[in-house]
Amino acid sequence: MSLKIKNLHKSFHDINLFNDFNIELKENTISCILGPSGCGKTTLLNIIGKTIQPDSGNFTGFENKKLSYIFQEPRLLPWKTVRENIAFVLNEKKKSSQENSIIDKYLELVELDKFKNYYPSKLSGGMKQRVSIARAFAYSSDIILMDEPLKALDLKLKLNLIKAFQRIWQFDKRTVIFVTHDIDEALLLGNDIYLFSKSPVDIKEKFNINSTERNLNSSELIALKNKIWEVMD
Amino acid sequence: MILVPSKNKIISFISVLLLLVIWKIISIIYNSDLILPSPETTLISILKLVLSKNFLLIVGITILRGLIGFSISILLGVALGIFAGVNETFHAFLKPILISIRSTPVISLILLALIWFKINTVPIFIGFLTMFPFICTNVIDGIRNVDKDLIEMSHFYKLNKINIVKNLYIPAITPYIFSGASSAMGIGWRAIIIGEVLSQPQYGIGTFMQTAQTYLLVNEVIAWTLIAIGISYMFEVLIRKIEKLIIDWK
Repeated sequence: MSLKIKNLHKSFHDINLFNDFNIELKENTISCILGPSGCGKTTLLNIIGKTIQPDSGNFTGFENKKLSYIFQEPRLLPWKTVRENIAFVLNEKKKSSQENSIIDKYLELVELDKFKNYYPSKLSGGMKQRVSIARAFAYSSDIILMDEPLKALDLKLKLNLIKAFQRIWQFDKRTVIFVTHDIDEALLLGNDIYLFSKSPVDIKEKFNINSTERNLNSSELIALKNKIWEVMD
Repeated sequence: MILVPSKNKIISFISVLLLLVIWKIISIIYNSDLILPSPETTLISILKLVLSKNFLLIVGITILRGLIGFSISILLGVALGIFAGVNETFHAFLKPILISIRSTPVISLILLALIWFKINTVPIFIGFLTMFPFICTNVIDGIRNVDKDLIEMSHFYKLNKINIVKNLYIPAITPYIFSGASSAMGIGWRAIIIGEVLSQPQYGIGTFMQTAQTYLLVNEVIAWTLIAIGISYMFEVLIRKIEKLIIDWK
């Protein structure tokens, strides 16, 4: 199964973002959308998340799919503990014991189980973002949309968070659509990397990385990085 | 363990002491209890009032009036404030009303209330009219300052309205309700006592202040004033304590 978008058209005022755009995304993979700022990456996420209406387009595979999100900022409620923040987005009809075990499981995967009763103000930026990752996975979604969730973090935290994400994703391989403008992030996280052009968007090239253990200094990733640079210019 | 008072507490203490010294000096200069009794005489008057037969009734009724006016203000202020905060049309409708209430001199409100209402209702009505706009305006501000990213997040996750209001909007405006309640009470006690002075209900701090003034009992007027300040301060502390209990996540 795959998710397909066909003949997508969307313009804002006079800017033509998508003009007969097509993309096919594999399910249960991390698809990474890599492109320059302002090319319409976020708009595509918002169209998929149905917060922006496309002018026209055909969507297959998105029907009845539940979505969860990881934003650039953690977006946690400051008056709720880590645990309560995750419970906030979960289905209220679920039994609380079931809900608790889900929350505990994902908090453990992002190594925050000891902090579940902490308020966000007591956590570091990286820890807060890990909570928001756990929240996205704890929510019973089919697709996780990520909009530059690593942008505000320094390199060490970035690597740390990518590790946390990889661990949780290996456990629960959900369909992930990950938007970024940072090549390193794409190389470290993506299974499929779609290189977007400036608007109106088309896919310049698609890359595939299969290895799970990633190292930016490995010859595979260096070669791939050079290739991306070439195509981008 | 020895409790060392903080620097600010010492300075506040000095400031109060300075006021008392100035008061004492002026009372020595005039040397007349009819103009300004000394702090000691006033303290004795306070003790006499506190020990007098009807003291608890007088103070209790004033506090009760304050609390009734305050409760109505909180209920209406929060309800209308939330509605105006989320509904632009209603906000446009409510705004001029709030501004007119706030800019009307308290004395005009009292004079009219004296004509319109029963004596016992006048101070409560005045208390309500002075407190309600503060609370309402604060709640509107609170709603408008709810983090847009959090609202967006809860819409992305398709959460239902009740969940969003209960877990996002209400906690977000709670600090605003407290700060509104605190400024409202500060001004509310004054308004209620003015209301009592002019409407002369059977019991109430204002009633007895007015009586004391008629008989030129300056020491009693000042004594009642200090008691009123004490009540106001007590409630301010109470509000801050409750706020700390409720908002424990900062």
